[in-house]
Amino acid sequence: MTPPIQDKMIDENLKWSRINEDVLRSMENPRRAYWITFAVCLAMFAVAIAAEIYQYRTGMGVAGLSNPHMWDMYIATFVFWIGMSHAGTLLSAILHIIHAQWRKPIYRFAEAMTTFSLMTAGFFPMIHLGRVWNFYWVLPYVSDRGIWPNFRSPLVWDAFAISTYLSASALFLFIGLIPDMAIARDHTRGWKRKLYGVLSLGWRGDDRQWRNFRKTYMIMACFLIPLAISVHSIVSSDFAMSLMPGWHVTTFPPYFVAGALYSGCAAIMTLFIALRYFFRFEEYMTLNIMEKTCKLTFAIAMVWSYLNLIEFAATWYGHNPYDKELLIDKATGPYAGLFWLMIFCGVIAPFGLCFEKLRRNMPAMLVMSVVLQLGMYVERWMIVAPTLSMAHNPHQWQTLWGPIVEWSIVFGSFGWFGLLFLVFVKLFPSVSMYEVKELTFHLKHEIEEEAHAAKHAQGEAHGHHGTQGGGGVPVMAPAAPRSGKEGS
Amino acid sequence: MSSVKLDRRQFLKMLGVGGAGTALAGCDLPTTITLEEGKEEVVSYLLPEEYVIPGVGVYFASTCTQCNAGCGIHGRVREGRVLKIEGNPDSPVNTGKTCMMGQAGVQTHFNPDRITAPMMRKSGRLQTVTWDEATAELNKHVGAQSNLNGGRFAWVTGSVSGHQSVLINELMAQLGSTNHYAHEVVNASVWSAVCQDMLGDAMPRLRIDKAGTILSLGADFLGTWISPVHFAREYAKFRSPAKRGVLVQVETKMTLTGGNADLWVPARAGTEGILALGIANFMVDRGWNKVEIPAAVRAELAEYKIEKVAELTGVAGSKIQRIASLLSERAPGLVLAGAPVESSEQGYASVSAAMLLNIIIGAVGTTIEPATRFSEKALQAKAGDTKSLLAFAKGLQEKRFDVVFISGANPVYTAPDALKLVDGFESVPFKVVFSQFPDETTQKADLVLPMYSAMEDWATHVPAYQTDGAVLSVQQPLMEPLYKDTKGFGDVVIALLKQRSKNYEQFPDYYAYLQTAMMNLPEAVTGPKPVKKEFWNGLLQKGLMVTKGDRATLSAKLSVPVFAHAAHHEGGHDDFMLVPSARMGMFDGRHANVPWIQEAPDQITKVVWDSWAELHPEAAAKLGVANGDLIRIASEHGSIETQVFIHKGIRPDVIGVPLGQGHEEYGRYAKGRGANPLKILNPVLEQKTGELAMYATKVKVSKTRKTVKLVKMGGSDTQAGRQFVLTVSADKLRRTEGEG
Amino acid sequence: MSFKNVLENFSNFRKDAEHGGHHTYEHRWGMAVDLNLCIGCNACSTACYAENNLPVVGKERFAKNQAIHWMRIERYWDPKDEMYPEQGASFLPMMCQQCGAATCEPVCPVAATYHTPDGLNAQVYNRCIGSRYCNNNCPFRVRYFNFYSYYESAWPEPLQMQLNPDLSVRDKGVMEKCTFCVQRIRAGKDKAKMEDRKVLDGDVQTACQQVCPTGAIVFGDTLLPDSKVSQLWKAHQVKRGPFTQKTPKDDADIRGYRIFDELNVDPSVMYLERVRETEV
Repeated sequence: MTPPIQDKMIDENLKWSRINEDVLRSMENPRRAYWITFAVCLAMFAVAIAAEIYQYRTGMGVAGLSNPHMWDMYIATFVFWIGMSHAGTLLSAILHIIHAQWRKPIYRFAEAMTTFSLMTAGFFPMIHLGRVWNFYWVLPYVSDRGIWPNFRSPLVWDAFAISTYLSASALFLFIGLIPDMAIARDHTRGWKRKLYGVLSLGWRGDDRQWRNFRKTYMIMACFLIPLAISVHSIVSSDFAMSLMPGWHVTTFPPYFVAGALYSGCAAIMTLFIALRYFFRFEEYMTLNIMEKTCKLTFAIAMVWSYLNLIEFAATWYGHNPYDKELLIDKATGPYAGLFWLMIFCGVIAPFGLCFEKLRRNMPAMLVMSVVLQLGMYVERWMIVAPTLSMAHNPHQWQTLWGPIVEWSIVFGSFGWFGLLFLVFVKLFPSVSMYEVKELTFHLKHEIEEEAHAAKHAQGEAHGHHGTQGGGGVPVMAPAAPRSGKEGS
Repeated sequence: MSSVKLDRRQFLKMLGVGGAGTALAGCDLPTTITLEEGKEEVVSYLLPEEYVIPGVGVYFASTCTQCNAGCGIHGRVREGRVLKIEGNPDSPVNTGKTCMMGQAGVQTHFNPDRITAPMMRKSGRLQTVTWDEATAELNKHVGAQSNLNGGRFAWVTGSVSGHQSVLINELMAQLGSTNHYAHEVVNASVWSAVCQDMLGDAMPRLRIDKAGTILSLGADFLGTWISPVHFAREYAKFRSPAKRGVLVQVETKMTLTGGNADLWVPARAGTEGILALGIANFMVDRGWNKVEIPAAVRAELAEYKIEKVAELTGVAGSKIQRIASLLSERAPGLVLAGAPVESSEQGYASVSAAMLLNIIIGAVGTTIEPATRFSEKALQAKAGDTKSLLAFAKGLQEKRFDVVFISGANPVYTAPDALKLVDGFESVPFKVVFSQFPDETTQKADLVLPMYSAMEDWATHVPAYQTDGAVLSVQQPLMEPLYKDTKGFGDVVIALLKQRSKNYEQFPDYYAYLQTAMMNLPEAVTGPKPVKKEFWNGLLQKGLMVTKGDRATLSAKLSVPVFAHAAHHEGGHDDFMLVPSARMGMFDGRHANVPWIQEAPDQITKVVWDSWAELHPEAAAKLGVANGDLIRIASEHGSIETQVFIHKGIRPDVIGVPLGQGHEEYGRYAKGRGANPLKILNPVLEQKTGELAMYATKVKVSKTRKTVKLVKMGGSDTQAGRQFVLTVSADKLRRTEGEG
Repeated sequence: MSFKNVLENFSNFRKDAEHGGHHTYEHRWGMAVDLNLCIGCNACSTACYAENNLPVVGKERFAKNQAIHWMRIERYWDPKDEMYPEQGASFLPMMCQQCGAATCEPVCPVAATYHTPDGLNAQVYNRCIGSRYCNNNCPFRVRYFNFYSYYESAWPEPLQMQLNPDLSVRDKGVMEKCTFCVQRIRAGKDKAKMEDRKVLDGDVQTACQQVCPTGAIVFGDTLLPDSKVSQLWKAHQVKRGPFTQKTPKDDADIRGYRIFDELNVDPSVMYLERVRETEV
């Protein structure tokens, strides 16, 4: 057995100016690859717009929907995008609170991913409506008819939860960006300088500002974590609060949250590899961090698999005939191919993450992350569609496959997300410069402390009581306590 | 809602006078056009009649003409247009109910494909002309100056009754013609013939409500046979807790009535009569007969032993015995025989067998009662049949006609190709079609006279099947005519009659004629000394008159029919008997242009908007076809292609293709949809009556490579274990009956 | 919106009708469908089309299950049939059950569907934004969505003249379903009011009830003790309320039941078992 490769999370001797340069370089004028990707995303988005205009004007029938099958890919994609947003919160908030240092180089784009996937997800509850132009009726406002939305409805809870989460995430992203905006402001000219100047809110980087900053960030992180969990729980209640077989499942809230984290982590892997390659961020998005991400993904995959199997088990020994027949139909009926694809991609494929060689192989991980995301998308669709195809009344059973209009809009949503993300990576630093600097600092400090401790241990063994304490490299008292384990 | 009846003059007053009324009737629903733009004429209701409350419907009585049962209807009229049809509670035919075809009557009336102006064939094409031109052309060929030889004139109608029948007969007499062909695809003519011969009355009253056991040999009495709404009312009593009737349906393909049977028996095609004789024999053996059986009859019956009958019919002996037991234990029994039995090669013999069984079980006088005929013979129904179509086709072949009138029939659609009717028809020098729609026959006309719909026209109807008392049902307009260039049937005929007879000069139109004719009916019909205004208003208010009529007397002629040969069909694996069944809805194809009818799923198969070929799973497996596969069904005289529908309600040696689709014309909803099985019928005749045996065509089935999507309602054929339709065994009920 | 109000009314919620319910009902419309009498003829379905301005959608859209038939006749075969369906077919007229504890009501985001004081589940067309959650939560799947502007093709001139002016023609994006002919209920109530009397049994007939040739459908006010429908519910021992009927049917002639009773949705429609001779 070869011993696990012990490479560093990041080179602790990385000069801070180098960090600035590398990251700011990623924000310079884009090259051809960028424009091609941009064009592709734009094309995808344009297809979606065209499809939506057609659907808006003709009616939801073009989406192939029917009685009984009134929700299909739009809702599945909606849940998918909401789910994808959780990983950003996981990385930037949850891992922040538990002081996982390895998140520092990658959380920025993850948070951006959160915000943008929420912005993408937000479209779907609107476009799936029959009368899209009245969507604002789900919001509570003083109307001249004296009517309020129906607060008992999970869709109204969705409206609240998602708008809250979106604004909170955007705010969180923005706040986290402030010190980086200041760096960018100091290193650019022209309109960009003006832009960053405004966005950095006059950041000077002095002690007081840092202290406030840290506090604010921590409070927001603590606020965002329960919010994130509640958002996807609420989205799951769209299904759990109904009485349909296959939907009326009490484990849906944690199941959805686990699935969200799962697909989000997989998305992080994809974007990690993409940014690392295109912007040459090998120094920052190291293989070490990739490994940690993979392990996190694997852990979440196991949680998700467990919750999935528990759902099957509960259905099986619950003996509710509707649920049981539906489960059997999922596994053996017209949707069986997708069901087993979901099992494969979601339960079996993540075991590939156990192999170190695979983990450190970027192309393999790219494929793996896409497979995992595919699995999770299929899982979302498998929740929505089979229940509607085979509910209580057998007279209304119907197998449905989405038509081109649905595919266009779903496809196009990826284009929209891509557009947002592409704009982001060019305008804003996709690696958090100040946090990376902190990381190098901590690592350096740790290494020195260890060296110091080792020397001390040696010294004691030789009975030296020599000069202690302040000798050696002066140690700046870090603002935050040292975190726990680093490395493997 | 108020239910006030009024007569025509008051009705017109209500709508404003004359022309303004028609403007209102042609009104669209309010649009967003404002008064200021001056694009709409707003006629105010400043002086409405007292009983008209804006927003509240007024009901007028009339008669439904969607089939020939003659149900009375109420039309709900609001703002000058008829919106909905309900049944007339006063009519003993339907006592306030209608069927789906009756409901669809409004869509027949408001149909977008109605012919709105007369048309004449000029240089090969039908072109719109004025009524003056049309009348001139008509008179040229049929008028007093025309020198028409009556023997060279033919008139094809559907079933006719009432004063329309009188006028038709009058015109035929005037023209010196005897070539009146009353043609209906859906008819009970063989049943009538047997009833006449064996019971002395052509259409006795069948008391389904009194029966304890009904053995129906293919009679779809809940769907298409004779008077379905009336029978459905009686069926409700038949199924009541007091009666707990048992329905046994014997047919090769499940009809609506078969779907409601306690026992559905798919006997071999053409052997239903033998089954009846087997049951009769068994019952007589057991001494369960309710009448004396002469020795000769006894001897003839004895041939039909259970084993032999079981073998010939394919029905298990135990079942035959069970049916016999039911007829005896759960008396009184009633045996019916419908289209699949009547319209086969030995249909008369088969129906006679059924009637013999009726006599033996004592149904005559208990569940079969003498009919009450309407006392004015001239007004009685002349029921249509297929014999007339055959005769007409023969006449066309022999080029015996110079002038042909067609009204209320579509022979170009209903005639089998084997009769070569279309060619014959096309070669007639002058063809006049009285029609509402551009159907197949109309499109081949030389002169098309656009008719009022049933909701715009006057008529009287005397149903062929009478129930409680003899009914004459009145049909009155439920609104002003939609199109100014359409005319009433009676109006046109009276105009023709006037040319040769002074008797009609006093009548400006059919309405006037009807009033006088009704008043001139004998007192036995109208009641003592009727005063015109009260009589007429009363008649229109009620919508009908129920008279005592002439009660027939029933005899019972015991005779055992002789079957020339055991008419059963042993098919090869692609050989089938074709079952071209009519159904409640499309009927014989006349309602294919009504969107509600097309969208209404067939009651048994639930297929919509198309035709289909029903196959048993075994037959389908042998052929290697699945639902939706297009197959070719070929007889000796043609072939059709349609989609497969697989279900167990049909014999494996039979293929069922419903009537109704396969129109080549007839408007946007009917045209180019499905296949018409009538086309490929072999010209087999029923041996005794000469009727076309529609259920006697053998066909070969072959696969094509094509598949279409079978469009039907319903995602599951079973309840999948859910408790939707719970069935309780009657046996369980009987055990608890009488307790508390 | 006082706290006291919430506390007081909370215990009223889900009370069954015998104990007052959580509404004060003026009427409680109910139906009894006798499956023994239903022959599956489709007259009720067609009458519903005529009365309620239901659009005809055509073959293509019907194939995709986008048709609108508020009243549909479901036809089932017996899975135990071997060679032939010897006991015929089972016909089930299925329409909105106007559930007392409707599952569609709580999930509509804009409260376009709610429970009326008449015991009906009402659908407000102009409030509906078309999220379609209500049909997803309906175990009977009796809600229909306007997937297109059907009126553009369903009523070519002059078919639109047949439209019933007592109710609207729905545009695309709006859910609709059987309303127990609420326009007729309204008219019946108005008439009674004008005549200064109560609504009597028989004043209001739904279109399906009025047309049914066998009289299988009985409709009326279950709060009136002498209405035909109340008597049927009583005779067949089916009670209102969001619970499963536990009455053991000792007498087989007591044939009443409700569909999906175990889901506790309190349907207002009672079905009577069909009786078939099984000893044949």
